[in-house]
Parts: sequence; structure tokens; C-alpha cells
Amino acid sequence: MSIRLLLGAMLVAVLSGCATQRIDKDRSALQAAAPRSILVVPVVNKSLDVDAPNYLLTTLSVPLAERGYYVFPVHTARTVLEQEGFYEADMVHAQPPAQLAKMFGADAVLFVTIRRWDAQYAVLATTVTVDFEYKLFGKDGTELWQSTQAIKYQPQNNNAGSPLASLIVAAINAAVVRAAPNYMPLARQANAQVFITGPDALPDGPYAQKR
Amino acid sequence: MFKWILVAALAALTGCAQPPVYQWGAYDELLYRGYKDPEKIESMRLKLETHVASLEASRTKVPPGIYAELGTLNLQKGDSTAARSFYVKERDAWPESRGLMDAMISNLDRRAETSKGAAS
Repeated sequence: MSIRLLLGAMLVAVLSGCATQRIDKDRSALQAAAPRSILVVPVVNKSLDVDAPNYLLTTLSVPLAERGYYVFPVHTARTVLEQEGFYEADMVHAQPPAQLAKMFGADAVLFVTIRRWDAQYAVLATTVTVDFEYKLFGKDGTELWQSTQAIKYQPQNNNAGSPLASLIVAAINAAVVRAAPNYMPLARQANAQVFITGPDALPDGPYAQKR
Repeated sequence: MFKWILVAALAALTGCAQPPVYQWGAYDELLYRGYKDPEKIESMRLKLETHVASLEASRTKVPPGIYAELGTLNLQKGDSTAARSFYVKERDAWPESRGLMDAMISNLDRRAETSKGAAS
């Protein structure tokens, strides 16, 4: 096999590996709006964890900016909204998106809702779940894009050798997860899948890296 | 030729992971810690300011929103002069931020005028 052929094969492998499968959805509104900037407003919480919306808010800017969009600073935006009297995320989400976009001079507004952020406890295995809904509206108020993403995590307990050792490891893992379930890696993974690698990922923004 | 093989091999190994566009200086992690424990907000401000200074020194683009966050963090600790200069930097670095930053800046200027008027 010539080296050129080998190279070609490698290139094909690389390219096909990277290609994401797109769902056949109507993306014309998103393409027509072609937003440059996204305002991420505070997150609405439907889980029982009161800290979850603040924590999730901190994970949204980086993947969106890395996708190539100008992302309004989330902490600043939240402060401005509070000064305008919007202390609760539910109040913000109840506003017409067009009005929020105008207030900040944004091309698009992202509403994120937490549907699940919990850990289900069992003696030997604990499952941690996050589940989010994402909706992007244009500055004229039309819905441009939406997606949902759920991630479940269950510690793997299968490499401890003897059955007794496995049981002990499982119990320890479950106890650790129960004491302090770490949602942040799951939240980051959900965002990355939904914005960048998933089937209905956002298109490149104006500052995206040339590929 | 060998250079190309190396490039292809590297691409194959790293798969689809793109190198990040920006250097964030752990902005998201710092904000998370600040929201978890409000006493860490000040250390977030200090760390981000150091990070931004090093980006500026190496003429590297500061990620979107970071100057503005520093403006707000300074404003929240009562330093409106520093806040104003960070808002100006955000506006000059990112045209998309202009509307919001102009509003923030003129708000600060108006506040400064009022307090000057009250003092004299």
C-alpha cells in the first residue's frame, strides 16, 4: 500500500469520525436569524436542589463562546436583571424574549430549564441524573432552536476482583456519591453534547475557529 | 511528507477535540466557587484580573464577557472607577456588547455626577 493511500484512508477515517449526524429538523429560522450574540438569562429550576440553577448558569458561557458566539457575561446579566426587578428566573422566562433581547442589545436569548438534577440512592449503586431543556429565541421573539439533554451517571463497580471486594467497593462508591454527588461534570457534558457534538448542535457562530 | 503523516496521526488520536478558541483562566470554575461560597467572589476577581493582565501582556484575545464580569465584580465591591474601565475594555473588544456596555458606562457617569453634585 502506498503511503499516499494510507494517508488518504486516515484522512477519511478522521473526517468521518468527526462528522456529526444531524437530525432532519427545520433550521431555517436559525439560519435566517444567524445570531452573533447570545444572552444567557438565569436558569429556571424544576428540581428540588435550590443551588442547581446558579451552578448550571456558570457552565453555559464557555461552550457557547467556544462555538463562536459572543456570549453576554452571565453574572453581569443577572445583576442587571436584578436591578430591573427580576429577582427570580421564572419572572425572567415569563418576559417576551424580544424585550429581553432589546434590553441587552442581544441577537438571541437562551432560556434553560432544569428538569432533573438529583441522585437516586440505593444500597450498592447510586444514579446521578441531570436533565435540561434549552430554548433559543431570536430578537424578534421567534423560536430559533430547542433541544433537551439528559445525562445519567452510575459509578462503575466491576473491577475489584473478588465478589466480596466488589461489594465493598460498590458500597463505598455509593456512600461517596450519596455524600456529595458531583453534578458539574454531568452538566458540562450535557452542554457540550447539546451545543457542539450532538445531533442538533448549534451552527458555528461568527468567531468560530476556521476548520 | 512526514510532517503530513504526523498531522494525520495527531488528528486521528485527538479525534474531534478542537483546541479551545479562548484561554478562560478557569472563569467557569471560579464563578461556580463564588456562587457556592460568596466569600470566594473576591478571590475570583483577583484571579481573573491576573489572568486578563497576562493575556494582555501576551497580546492574546480576552474571551467574550470577561472584562465585563470584572467590571461588575469591581462595581460590587464599590470600585466604580475600575468598573468603568473594564466596561470600556469590553465595549472596545467586542462590538456585540456595545449597547449594554454604553448603558452601564453612562449609568456610572450619571451616578458620579449626582454624587459630585450632592457633595458640593
